Amino acid sequence: MDLLQDIVSRNAFLLTFEVRLFWLVAFIYGTGCFFLLLYIIFRSGHLGKASHAILWTGITLHTGLIILRTFEGGRAPFQTLYESLSWFAWSATITYLFVSRRWKDVYLPGFFVTLISVGACMYALLSRSPDVKPLSPPLQSYWFEWHVTLAFLSYAVFVVSFAVEMSCLILKPFLKRGMAQDFGLSLDGLDEFRGTAVRLVLFGFPLLTFCIFSGAAWANEAWGRYWSWDPKETWSLITWTVFAVYLHSMAIPSMRGLPASLFNILGFICMMMTFLGVNWLAKLLGIPSLHVYAV
Amino acid sequence: MKAFLEKIRHSFSYPKGETPSSNSSGFREFTGWAYRKLSSIRTSIYILLGMALFYLLGTVFPQGANIDDYVQAGGRFVFAVRLFNLLDVFSGIPFLFLAFLLFLNIAICTYERFFHLLVQKMPVPRDFTPTATIPLTMDAHVAQGEIWNILRERLNFRLLSKGQEWTVMERGLSYRWLTWLYHAGIVVCFMGFLITYLFAVEDVVTLYPGKPVEITPSSPGRLEGLWRDRHPKPGFSIILDEFITEYVQHPSIDYPRDRVSRLAIALGWRDVTYTINEKSFFPKDWKSRLRILKNGLTVYEKTIEVNDPLVYEGYTFYQMAFEQRLRIGVDNNPILLEVKTGDELIVPGLTTPLRFTNLITGTLYRLDGGTEGITPFVTVKRTVKDEGGGKRTEKLGILELGGSITVDGKKITLADIEEASILSYRYDPGVGILWWTGLFVFLVITIRCFGGWYMLAYRIEESDGIAYLTLSIQTRGLIADRTKMTERLVYYITSSELKPTPLPPSS
Ligand code: HEM
Repeated sequence: MDLLQDIVSRNAFLLTFEVRLFWLVAFIYGTGCFFLLLYIIFRSGHLGKASHAILWTGITLHTGLIILRTFEGGRAPFQTLYESLSWFAWSATITYLFVSRRWKDVYLPGFFVTLISVGACMYALLSRSPDVKPLSPPLQSYWFEWHVTLAFLSYAVFVVSFAVEMSCLILKPFLKRGMAQDFGLSLDGLDEFRGTAVRLVLFGFPLLTFCIFSGAAWANEAWGRYWSWDPKETWSLITWTVFAVYLHSMAIPSMRGLPASLFNILGFICMMMTFLGVNWLAKLLGIPSLHVYAV
Repeated sequence: MKAFLEKIRHSFSYPKGETPSSNSSGFREFTGWAYRKLSSIRTSIYILLGMALFYLLGTVFPQGANIDDYVQAGGRFVFAVRLFNLLDVFSGIPFLFLAFLLFLNIAICTYERFFHLLVQKMPVPRDFTPTATIPLTMDAHVAQGEIWNILRERLNFRLLSKGQEWTVMERGLSYRWLTWLYHAGIVVCFMGFLITYLFAVEDVVTLYPGKPVEITPSSPGRLEGLWRDRHPKPGFSIILDEFITEYVQHPSIDYPRDRVSRLAIALGWRDVTYTINEKSFFPKDWKSRLRILKNGLTVYEKTIEVNDPLVYEGYTFYQMAFEQRLRIGVDNNPILLEVKTGDELIVPGLTTPLRFTNLITGTLYRLDGGTEGITPFVTVKRTVKDEGGGKRTEKLGILELGGSITVDGKKITLADIEEASILSYRYDPGVGILWWTGLFVFLVITIRCFGGWYMLAYRIEESDGIAYLTLSIQTRGLIADRTKMTERLVYYITSSELKPTPLPPSS
């Protein structure tokens, strides 16, 4: 019994430490986001650089936090929504930091990415329980890790692609009028920069394809049906379809501009719905839903 | 082959503006128009968007729900729901029609592209926009041979065409063929969906230990159902030898719900704590020890669990759920009352019904590494009115097997328990096709998107005694990098003693 009490108090101690660390990470991301806001206001490259340094600090601590959680749970750290949100914020931020290394003095997309990451962290901390749950029987499958890891990797690149697309959409009218030159982009270079958004979607699309495929294979193994049209599955199919539309629209000259950009943004919204808002739309319209999700 | 393909193609389509001569021109014009529309990538965008809209409806309206239940639950848009069958969108004619159009669209696109790739051969462009110019210190004629060698032998380019001006070469798997291949794969996936849609059979079977059940799905597959409504009889039975439940000890967390207290944890004013109580049982596994019987003889046996089903003669049996029945004694009455866990039980003499939560039984894996057999127990609750007129759940106590609790003067005893395993089973000949083709589609999409394809056109000209190499490089795929490829070419040019470049390359 003493041993059991010891284990329980050790777990409580670790969890308390971990929750505080997560708050710290959220605070650091928030500071990075604030610096990026200052950058947008004052257009000083120093502020942009400082924000990246802050975000690198945050991501280092966050990596430590995720490793700690993995050890604590003895499993991949994305079983509950609390964990998935943390993993999502981490993967989006780190993808942004890696992708942005190729850019010179362009920081605007970082604002969108960090805003989303901070939002994810705060949602986890304020609304979800940090309990380290054991793996429930349906999750005890080798598909679990692959399915979720790659899903989140695709989500991360879609977030960065969205941020690039938004930046281009916002900057374009200003650049056309000869303004906003100090955001590190020129009107001539804007199309090439927007190419990053396409490349990111090209990176994410096969991952999302695998995610849907592995999800179906997993469902087939666990419940005997590879497709049940439940909202989570269906939303992931919507996201996949919208990104396929986006890639196709890039092959049609008359659609390559604004329509394609809008499809990319729509794809991002659908991705967020898949992740978080499965039943939200039904609730909004006052439509009863039969489906309940554990996470 | 070429003539055959041409013939098929022409029988469907008339090129724009061309008019057929026969009287059936109206129909042929229509098919020609439809074929042209369905071979367009723009059409696929519209169809895909339409599909997305249907998917959206499917997420908003509870699929499979009964319209009366829907109305009772306060569902809105009842008129539209009835009219468009929105509670079963994915079996409705509009959705199936659109899916069929998508199938035609992708099949025709795939065929057309195949035709272009194989029969007509994609024309190699003749004109190129230069992406780099590199000065060379050698005779243009010698340079021709050297550059050709570098591109072929060092950089693995292959010749596409040699014109008067440009020599065009290619490296990597042709992205056009890859794009074609996975689109063709998607067409085959559609076949898999169709097979599932037409032939799949599924049902649920509840098994009590030691009682064999003959497998007879309650309805045939959709196609078979057109001419017969008899159940298919695979001709075997299934028997449950044992149902096993396992739990891990998972202490309950004490974590505040309100945001201020959560902030207090962040600031170090409070800690998170864990306690061990009756809620500390977290399901680890449900297992069913099963045997398949044919003519009374065991032909196959397996212990299944979630994610590890039993497959026999095309039928797959999955651990879906379980059912628990309790026999409850009241005072010293010898007649026992029977209730399923989760259901309410009206006990004579009590004003409010009792509710028995999940029965916890089986093996417990303790946190400290030990295991123990659990004395089966349920938690007894009831719903009571509070002072404000609202309702709340009152916990009455833990009831162990053989034990009792007293509620409002009545002695409630847990006299006996029984567990049944609920399996879902399915026969689906479409899965195999989908599995392999899906894997194929995924692999080819990955190679197409991640791989590197280059088309390099070059020409060598001489001006003022200096030879210039003009390059035009196009790429596809994420790992293709034009700048790096140009740098590698320059490296090979400069690393050879024969070809030093006195000037840096200009882009
Ligand atoms: C479920 C349906 C579909 C999916 C998931 C899908 C997926 C994709 C993706 C990801 C791409 C971009 C990558 C690449 O160029 O290989 C693409 C390109 C393409 N798709 Fe589809 N596609 C679908 C249906 C169709 C249909 C119905 C058509 C018929 C018109 C079509 C024609 C094309 C063509 C021609 C390209 C190449 C565009 C280019 O050369 O840049 N696709 N498709």
